[in-house]
Amino acid sequence: MMIKEVIAIILLVVGCFFFLAGTIGVLRFPDLFSRLHALTKADNLGLGFIAAGMAVYIASPLAALKIFFIWLFTLLASSTSCYLIARFQKEQEQSKNRKEQG
Amino acid sequence: MSILIDILLAILGVYLAMQSLLASRLSQSVFLFFAFGLALALAWVRLGAVDVAITEAAIAAGFLGVLFLDALRDFSPRDTEEQQNLTTVQNSLSRKESKSLLLPRLALVLGLGLFLLIALEAVWKIPEGGGLTAAAETLLPESGVEHPVTAVLLNFRAYDTWLEIGVILLGLLAVFAVGGIQIYRKPIAAADDPLMRQVILFFTPVLFLFGAFLLYIGKSGPGGAFQAGVLWGAIGILLHFGGIPVYSWVPRWLGHLLLTLGLVFFLLLGFLFMAAGDNLFEYPPAYAGLLILIVETLAAISIAAALTAIFANLNQMKKEQPNDTAQK
Repeated sequence: MMIKEVIAIILLVVGCFFFLAGTIGVLRFPDLFSRLHALTKADNLGLGFIAAGMAVYIASPLAALKIFFIWLFTLLASSTSCYLIARFQKEQEQSKNRKEQG
Repeated sequence: MSILIDILLAILGVYLAMQSLLASRLSQSVFLFFAFGLALALAWVRLGAVDVAITEAAIAAGFLGVLFLDALRDFSPRDTEEQQNLTTVQNSLSRKESKSLLLPRLALVLGLGLFLLIALEAVWKIPEGGGLTAAAETLLPESGVEHPVTAVLLNFRAYDTWLEIGVILLGLLAVFAVGGIQIYRKPIAAADDPLMRQVILFFTPVLFLFGAFLLYIGKSGPGGAFQAGVLWGAIGILLHFGGIPVYSWVPRWLGHLLLTLGLVFFLLLGFLFMAAGDNLFEYPPAYAGLLILIVETLAAISIAAALTAIFANLNQMKKEQPNDTAQK
């Protein structure tokens, strides 16, 4: 087994670990905000490691660049959607509080 | 090892489809449908049909997902009073359903079962004939493109593709029929969120570029008009979300021109060569590559316009209803 493959496998396993941690967090955490935190943070890291692992495995500069961009765009999209979901939830809670007070 | 992944994917696909149909809450159904679309896309990748996989991911998980989420927001009752009304309506409906819908359900199950049997038989018989892969490969040089899927879609079986573009337009017509042709009088209040606006402005050129890439790469690899059209349509939908209603800014005649451009040009080209003595949708091999690229570009523009219009009109319909009830 080549050293390249060993590095790739280690990176993939670490990535899978973060995905697992994020999934457990989504299932176990009590409210929406901590679930969002678990999902987006852990998954970004997990995807980063898996992307790095695949880039090492394929070992071609062009493919590595493409994989890097995939990771970057997913990062942008997922953090934005996380922010939007959190904002929506916050607005809803605020309007609910206002109704209860008024 | 790979057979294990295939079996897992097959089980996952069927499981997600069933869960999506049987889920008790509407929101669960919608999110399970996303997952089902993605599992299906993965299954297509495993089958080696990357073109279908991209389209499946883009249309089923992406575009339909947006429409479903949009519908979900409309169905979620805001006031408790509204909710009570809804539950009473639902109860009365479910009571009626149990008796009168038995026969249609039975017919549906029988029909689908029959369809499934026929499909299974067709799949069973493919290995005997060897399929049409060899025929497509031998005619590939005449088609003007290097990718067999694109050759089949845009040249050998162009008629099907032409009808598919028409189906999307029919969907838009159905939306028009339900909601009426409406033009935004004034743009929606611009989204006040600076972050979302920035992200949308960042993704617009990226999506455009990636769509153009898929369009051009369709000549020699997976990609083509539908995938590019969905990505370009995503630009329009994103801009709507960001408070920039492109659909209403475009003049009506231009919008209709963009919507029908692909379909009309496709058909005109077909008739032109038919008048010259060829069959419908048969291109001379010398120009086939260029003609296919032009047809695909125009078709992608039309598909993008139609998807944006479908979304804009559906979104508009819901925005108007709260105002109507407020006026009453």
